[in-house]
Amino acid sequence: MASKTKATPAAGGEVLTYNKGTFRNSALVRQQTLAAYLFLLPALFFFVLFVVVPMVMCLVTSFFDYRMGKPLTFVGLNQYIKMFQDPTFLKALVNTFILVIVAVPTVTAFSLWVSSVVYKFSAFKRSFFRCIFYLPVVTGTVAVAVVWKWMFNKYTGLINYVLSATGVIDQNISWLGDARFALGCIILILFTTSIGQPIVLYIAALGNVDPSLIDAAEVDGANNFQVFWHIKWPQIMPTTLYILVITTINTFQCYALIQLLTSGGPNHATDTIMYYIYYQAFKLNDYGYGDAMGVILAIIIAVLSAIQFKVAGSGSGD
Amino acid sequence: METTVQSKKLTPGKVIVDIILFLLAIFFIFPLYWIVTGSFKDRVAVNANPPVWFPTQPTLDNYQRLFDNPALLWLGNTVLMAVAAMALTCITAAMAGYVLAKKRFPGRALIFSIMICAMALPKQVILIPLLKEMSFLGLHDTLWAVILPTVGWPFGIFLMKQFSETIPGEMIEAARIDGAGEVRTFVSVVLPMVTPGIGALAIFTFINSWNDYFLQLIMLNSTKSLTISLGIAKIQAEMSNDYGLIMAGAALAAIPIIAVFLAFQKYFTQGIAMGAVKG
Amino acid sequence: MKKQLSLLLAAGMTAGLLAGCGGSTSSTATESTASSTSSAATGETSGDNLSADITMWTYPIGQFSDADTVNSIITKFQESHPGINVTVEYLDYTNGDDQVTAAIEAGTTPDIVMEGPERLVSNWGAKGKMLDLSDLWTEDAVADISATSQAVVNACKGADGNYYEYPLCMTTHTMAINKEMFEAADALQYINEDGTWTTENFEKALQALKDSGVDTTMIVYCGGQGGDQGTRALVNNLYSGQFTNADHTAYTTDSDANKKALQQLLDWSNEGLISYDAAAQASDELQLFANGTVAMTLCWNASNQAQYASSVTFTPMAVAFPSDDGVPELCGGIWGFGIFDNGDDTKAAAAKEFIKFLCDDPEQGPESVRLTGFFPVRSSFGDVYTGTEDEDRMAQFSSFMQYLGDYYPVTAGWAEQRTAWWNMLQQIFTGTSVDDAVATYTTTSNDALAAAAA
Repeated sequence: MASKTKATPAAGGEVLTYNKGTFRNSALVRQQTLAAYLFLLPALFFFVLFVVVPMVMCLVTSFFDYRMGKPLTFVGLNQYIKMFQDPTFLKALVNTFILVIVAVPTVTAFSLWVSSVVYKFSAFKRSFFRCIFYLPVVTGTVAVAVVWKWMFNKYTGLINYVLSATGVIDQNISWLGDARFALGCIILILFTTSIGQPIVLYIAALGNVDPSLIDAAEVDGANNFQVFWHIKWPQIMPTTLYILVITTINTFQCYALIQLLTSGGPNHATDTIMYYIYYQAFKLNDYGYGDAMGVILAIIIAVLSAIQFKVAGSGSGD
Repeated sequence: METTVQSKKLTPGKVIVDIILFLLAIFFIFPLYWIVTGSFKDRVAVNANPPVWFPTQPTLDNYQRLFDNPALLWLGNTVLMAVAAMALTCITAAMAGYVLAKKRFPGRALIFSIMICAMALPKQVILIPLLKEMSFLGLHDTLWAVILPTVGWPFGIFLMKQFSETIPGEMIEAARIDGAGEVRTFVSVVLPMVTPGIGALAIFTFINSWNDYFLQLIMLNSTKSLTISLGIAKIQAEMSNDYGLIMAGAALAAIPIIAVFLAFQKYFTQGIAMGAVKG
Repeated sequence: MKKQLSLLLAAGMTAGLLAGCGGSTSSTATESTASSTSSAATGETSGDNLSADITMWTYPIGQFSDADTVNSIITKFQESHPGINVTVEYLDYTNGDDQVTAAIEAGTTPDIVMEGPERLVSNWGAKGKMLDLSDLWTEDAVADISATSQAVVNACKGADGNYYEYPLCMTTHTMAINKEMFEAADALQYINEDGTWTTENFEKALQALKDSGVDTTMIVYCGGQGGDQGTRALVNNLYSGQFTNADHTAYTTDSDANKKALQQLLDWSNEGLISYDAAAQASDELQLFANGTVAMTLCWNASNQAQYASSVTFTPMAVAFPSDDGVPELCGGIWGFGIFDNGDDTKAAAAKEFIKFLCDDPEQGPESVRLTGFFPVRSSFGDVYTGTEDEDRMAQFSSFMQYLGDYYPVTAGWAEQRTAWWNMLQQIFTGTSVDDAVATYTTTSNDALAAAAA
């Protein structure tokens, strides 16, 4: 298995596959390092200036009482302590985790399934389906939210119309206004707007798997599942890792849908950390508290990403 | 070479999968279908209950009212912004992703870790510091205030690193042995191999930048620099129940993105063909 | 470009008045009724030689969201103040606050902003972002405005005694009913001639509507803070409770009268007399009222009446909120101008000239009020709608002005209170006891009040 993978030009994997012979002497190493930094320079310029600098400012102000119209005062860890005594924050934290635990595996698994069916189609059919699943992304969150809000409407919505016409329900349900359903509705919409990008990437990655390997395996008598697990899965691992990480990050940062559809209600049932951060910073102008929550959220996401790197890295090493 | 591994024979399993895909397709098309048809409905039809499934008496009235706004100026601003963000991101990310994946140099792991951590930081949190920075640089209320943070966001670098890892080290080594310098190796060996990645990144950046209306809202505040997302959000806020007009705006905003998506799609196909040839 | 934009803005002009209260169905761009004859004599001599470029941001208040109308005002202003250029940007209630926050942090705030005291005075003013406008509040102005309502004068004054707003117009927020639905249910008999009704009769009307087959009589909407003055007024009026204490130093929703009212709403909801929807905001409720789904709206005012009259297929009839004694206490809306403290004396002086022109000019002042669609704060303006086509409609609303209650949205901690309010309603209708939900609300709000005052 391993030798086959190595022979493949398109072989990937988290493990770097560069040739160690490159580093023959220190002059070459210096030259390589210089070249590497020159290649990195443009990206680093924008990254440092417009991401790292504000990020550091945000970290610093999280230790200050920083509110519009109040003098900046150092408060140490107070806002971090306050956060974990704030029931709304804790509720938002729980909701965010539910969102991530449900949405990330579903999105990843579903997009892999769709891709593995679709990538075998003819070029036209493949483009067609790729486009279809990308439509909710293309449409834009604001417009998608308008349609879904109408579909979920208690009085004039499509879903109640269909359900009562078919006799499933006899009383209209306020889908987004009922604590039992609201978060589920958000997850459903998030799902439809999240799978476009993974499908595009998975189709590209699966298409890059060397067909001769698959043929060889099939000749050896491997079934579909074996082909998938031993040949395709290791090769699409970098893509899977990327999809896992960005889907996790995007799900954690989901707030536009919530702002547009529920404002965190009913009774905090759909509050997420991101929405709560937005609320603290832009509605109450308590930037320091918002920054502190942002730092905690970033740490949580970074730890989860690190775990995903570890798991995916060891997975592809097999 | 097209990898048309189409079904050799029709099995019940395949039929069921096809039916499921077909139903899912309807589900995913529906919002856009509803927006597009809604944009041609008159005021009564668009609010009708039970819903009107298809506009039997289509009207262009919504589009006429939409173009009473400077919708084309908004569109122009947005295209300018998204294209600039897309081009800058693709260039910088392709270069950075390549060296992060294929070169070993001091600080590589550190730089990559910082980028991953930065990605984890919610954008809304850094908006206020970013705002102060843009104001300090004198860029607030210009399109640059929206473009630059988009380019700085390390998603693209991460994506290009993942794509660059699939480049076999032998090919880079071979180019070097042929006497190619760093730049030539990058341009003639690396770039062609990561074209699918660049295609994907171009689409993602274009669309993210197009749809990131909160960043636009915070950074732009004069009518002359309004983008289409902001324009539509404005229409929506002011005419909260004029669904026909909102739908027309949403449809107009979606068209350029669909065009970009279709235009860049072919890069995936190229990449697939190339991968197959190499094998 | 401006012209094109203006048509849209004209169409949406009354959308979401006061906290995103409503949306508009009509796209009829009402022509400016501006009198084109402008006299050079209106110019204040002090402003003649000022030279400055100033900016103004307006929330959508009547036709002040219409660029054509506003530009014609500026043209008139420049006849007496040729050196002052005014650039206007138009905000909306969904995103406007975020944009102002961003502008404050980026140091790019406009010179003038047009909105109500809950933003200008108790939010940005209290945070030290606004200029003191005491010099606009001449003795004459104070006397003239307090003759209409002392509450207006008080609302424009910050806790520090400075005036952060110079008001132009005011209104009362009412309810509206679908007259035909009420007629069909024989429920009009429960409403007095003057549009007031008692809580007892209100319940009878609900019952009559229900009996006649009306599915949804009224919705307690609480999907967010948009249009929350409607639910606040309903709760406060049913048993004559108060929202805050008299000097605005405590939120008093935990009073027995308010708790009784909340329990009453819950009981009615359980009996099926009214509905509750945690996914709906006022704009959604108005939409359902406009398309005939629901029999009444809690979010109505003169401007909404003007906007909806032409686009609905029934007669929307403005009524007061029901109260146990039949004497309602209605929430007011006040709109006017404030100046951001941008550290430029010349611009501030120019901005003041423009505000004086808009509010005090004997000709432009009443015209400005008419453009908002509300009532003047200056009693000397008299009835500004006499002789206009709006006279009848405005007379109907002007009769409600006598019921204008305390203007409490200037209470500290207002932003926190608004969120706590709709969360409280959501709790009550989903099983939390009224006592517990109200206790949570009162604690949150009063804590925020104390923190803001500290």
